[in-house]
Amino acid sequence: MSAARQAPLTRALAWVLTAGGAIGLVAAFVLTVEKIALLKDPGYRPSCSINPILSCGSVMKTPQAEAFGFPNPLIGVAGFAVVAAIGVVLLTGARLPRWFMLGLQVGATFGVVFVHWLIFQSLYRIGALCPYCMVVWAVTIPVFWYTTLANLTSGDLPVPRPWRRAVEGVARFHSAVLVAWYLLIIVLIGEEFWSYWRTLL
Amino acid sequence: MAKKKNTRPAGGKKTRPRPPAAKAAVAAPQPRRRGMSTNLKMTIGLIAAAIIAIGVTVVLSNSGESTAASTSPTDERLVRPDSHKLSTAADGKVTLVEFLDFECESCGALYPDMERLRAEYDGRITFVVRYFPLPGHKNGEPAARAVEAAAAQGKFAEMYRKMFETQSAWGEKSEPQDGVFRGFAGELGLDLAAYDAAFADPATAARVQKDQDDGISLGVDRTPTIYLNGEPVERPGYESLKESIDKALA
Repeated sequence: MSAARQAPLTRALAWVLTAGGAIGLVAAFVLTVEKIALLKDPGYRPSCSINPILSCGSVMKTPQAEAFGFPNPLIGVAGFAVVAAIGVVLLTGARLPRWFMLGLQVGATFGVVFVHWLIFQSLYRIGALCPYCMVVWAVTIPVFWYTTLANLTSGDLPVPRPWRRAVEGVARFHSAVLVAWYLLIIVLIGEEFWSYWRTLL
Repeated sequence: MAKKKNTRPAGGKKTRPRPPAAKAAVAAPQPRRRGMSTNLKMTIGLIAAAIIAIGVTVVLSNSGESTAASTSPTDERLVRPDSHKLSTAADGKVTLVEFLDFECESCGALYPDMERLRAEYDGRITFVVRYFPLPGHKNGEPAARAVEAAAAQGKFAEMYRKMFETQSAWGEKSEPQDGVFRGFAGELGLDLAAYDAAFADPATAARVQKDQDDGISLGVDRTPTIYLNGEPVERPGYESLKESIDKALA
């Protein structure tokens, strides 16, 4: 194996970053446009306000939608563009230096922590789900997961010797873990809004 | 050995020189593919299990049929002495009881039909309205309290109408709409101080809850649920209700 050859998970990471970054960028962009429309006309009904639970409008008007004092989707517009660009670079077969991959790790970790805070707020504080925001949740998780796995297995993130086998074991079930992660959130959503889903059945 | 090779960094720190035999073994892509397929199997298995679980949950929750059970036309859980009536039949032959949530869209969709039937059968059948605010609707319960507060001033029917006619303006919101409801009270010319007191009174909430408890004990699990002489009406609409009413009146 030549030094230039990418690890198998880096290949998967390249696709996850490219697709995830592109999808996340579209969602963040739409949310930004909706936010501007909402600022122009407070009575505006965003395209994704479907029913009391699936509603962007009510979510976008909350303080949590401006966690850092400015609309959250602005972070997404900038961040996901970078993620998609890194994905495309990796698709060329490039092997990026350790400091670069660690930078991506920092960004992806911030993203995943922030998104889970938003999930918690959305489910248990706001009590509504915003579809475009959920798209962002759905892509941020694999972006973080595959970045972390790629960095752990490539050695860019150091793993203590006793943990190496465990990491390798988990890495083998990368997509199963991702699906389990998704399912956990789906279960939480289903449980929290059960009484409402029932009325739709 | 082969397993480790899977995740070994390409060209990473080669701490141990690998014997040529091992190298040859890992050169074949097979072990890697086997690892991937276990992952794939688990992934597909998880998705399949989730789909089955969702399916079972939906079936168990009785998606198709309402759990509302038939009961005796004189079952006191259907009509209490303090239940609100939009119209009263002198002969008491036909009683229509609707369990509704003011924020429920299908109740709003049925509302014009109910108004039409009420006009056509005014005085010939008894229309009873029972509160059944659904937990999924943030303002369904406050709306019921607002109507109850208006009822205390003799404006039940007016507030009931107001709620459904304006539902699209205040429904489906996660913010409280108490101010909007108070505005309706003002438009109806209610004594606002008395309205405010009644709206906030725990007794009003308890009155709404009492209706809901009756509904739950009857097996009502959705809104609108309509009982015609103790018999739940499947898929209530203008035609189906008219047919049932005519049959009951005959």
